[in-house]
Amino acid sequence: MTSIWRAREFSTVLILLAEVLFFAWYLWPEAGRSHPFLNSGNFLLILKYSSIYGIAAIGAAVVIISGGIDLAPGAIIALTTVITGYLFVEAGWPLWAGASVGLMVGALAGLLSSWLIVRMRLPPFIATLGVMGILRGTAFIITEARFYDLSAKLPRNWHIAGISIDWLGPAVMIALAVVFQRLMTGYQWGRSVSAVGGNETAALFSGIPVNWIKTTTYVLSGTLAAVSGVVLAVVQGQGKADLASGYELDIIASAVVGGASLVGGRGSVAGAVLGALIFGVLRNALPQIPGATFYDRLIVGVVVIGIVVMDQMLTRRSGNA
Amino acid sequence: MKRLWVLIAVAALATWACSGAAPEGPRKLKFALIPKALDIPVFNYADVGARREAAALGDVEVIYRGPDHADQLLQKQMLESFIQQKVDGIAISVLNAEFLTSTIDQAVDAGIPVVTWDSDAPASKRFAFYGVDDFKSGQEMGKAAAKLLNGKGTVAYITSLGAYNLARRLDGVKDVLKNYPDIKVIETYDVQEDAVRASQMIASGSNRYPDLGAWISVGGWPVFTQNALAPVPPTTKVISFDTNPPAPDLVKAGKAHVLIGQKYFGWGSETVKLLYDAVKNGKRPATPIIDSGVDVVDINNVDQYIALWKKMESGK
Repeated sequence: MTSIWRAREFSTVLILLAEVLFFAWYLWPEAGRSHPFLNSGNFLLILKYSSIYGIAAIGAAVVIISGGIDLAPGAIIALTTVITGYLFVEAGWPLWAGASVGLMVGALAGLLSSWLIVRMRLPPFIATLGVMGILRGTAFIITEARFYDLSAKLPRNWHIAGISIDWLGPAVMIALAVVFQRLMTGYQWGRSVSAVGGNETAALFSGIPVNWIKTTTYVLSGTLAAVSGVVLAVVQGQGKADLASGYELDIIASAVVGGASLVGGRGSVAGAVLGALIFGVLRNALPQIPGATFYDRLIVGVVVIGIVVMDQMLTRRSGNA
Repeated sequence: MKRLWVLIAVAALATWACSGAAPEGPRKLKFALIPKALDIPVFNYADVGARREAAALGDVEVIYRGPDHADQLLQKQMLESFIQQKVDGIAISVLNAEFLTSTIDQAVDAGIPVVTWDSDAPASKRFAFYGVDDFKSGQEMGKAAAKLLNGKGTVAYITSLGAYNLARRLDGVKDVLKNYPDIKVIETYDVQEDAVRASQMIASGSNRYPDLGAWISVGGWPVFTQNALAPVPPTTKVISFDTNPPAPDLVKAGKAHVLIGQKYFGWGSETVKLLYDAVKNGKRPATPIIDSGVDVVDINNVDQYIALWKKMESGK
């Protein structure tokens, strides 16, 4: 089984590298120009923007592995930027305090989703769709179409220990990926998440606290989406209700492309981060090709289907072997 | 695992090898033209205007790129990407002024001149803004409404909250209508830059207020499609921003009454000229705000306007 995971993550890395090499070739510059895609500055740009999706995709992957789905991350990201911005800019709180409340709101949003799913027995799709609406609506009510300008109170060209704040998102994303990959593969909690997603009844009979496991996955997903929101607010310097609109589908797509099975029981948080990077490269490179922006969604759709089909073929082959 | 590290090492080496600039040589100037979103039809005319101007200048290449929908984070990423690419100039219609100000400043600090068009970032280091004076154009709409209503009746506003230029237009409308105490504002609708949402709101608003005197829309959402104004009763006047097709047809059909048009083709042609003058000749405009003026279209001049439009659209 472990070899399948490794093979799946390895193939995701291969797809990412193939994508990078393709765009490096396609966007090769004319004489007198530096490469518009293949340079270290642009790679930081890809990492910086992908991290907004990637951090939340870790939580989304865990929920999907447990057999659920979470449509609320985009709204949680927006609400977190608004709350962090409000407390930091309007209420005069220190940034860390505002961000902490933002994280708590994310965790509470996840708790609300899990309560609706575990206690009220709502299907995860409906429960999180409702929570998404409530959170986005709350963000609009708080801001009344205004926004909170964190950048005015934050240092310009902010560096921490000599490192640009642009690295905050990528650093957080990589650290969280390492921690949760370990938690999912090396600890009882992670194995229980996979067991619940694989066969909930069997998990229940084998003594796994199914409801508790489900609750932890949604709280985790909410909290990690809030981490994305804090990163967005701090790095981009704004709290606004319409930020991250529609990101939930890109976040879920990242997890799926990274190997998470929508029927549950299977997936990888490292794969979800790689999935976010695959889309990040597309979002960065396609606008550099004349007319390709219009193909953006089509290509993303083809990539999602292609990778998932390939994943299923790989899984079937391993099952037959 | 070894295979993975080998692949990563090869990729890193390739990145490093390509990071340095290639040798300089004769080349065209590359100007990036960034709209708010590609799915807003009027911005295509900016592209037509920019290409016409670039062809006339000869040594300019225009790169027209933008987010496929109005996503401020995506627009910021594109702007940063153009800074990375070291283009020779950037002309941008700003989705969210405060959000993009620091990035525009970053471009200018990196030696890339920036002009804004359609929607400004006034606190940034952009050297010029080309577009309508939003307040004045709002006043034109207010005057048109007062005239159509003979100074008496009810109006409903259509806007998209949060955009600086739309807020200024609405301020202009209000500035005129405050002089008409018999004109009452009964509702302000926020359509969130969405033409479909605007259609829904016009339908439900027309149902709720059948005696409404006039719709005043500070954006072109009601006239982007033939059908959005279908539920509006014949007694209600429509004053809307934007004159691009099919809007003039709606004036001819009597569904819209006064349209305020921007210099859509000029967004591209004039900003390319501004960038070219700045880069090639070191010349900058005397004042940073360049008022493009507006076209006021009604039933009396709609045919001439359509003829002129067709000529401009052909790129001549």
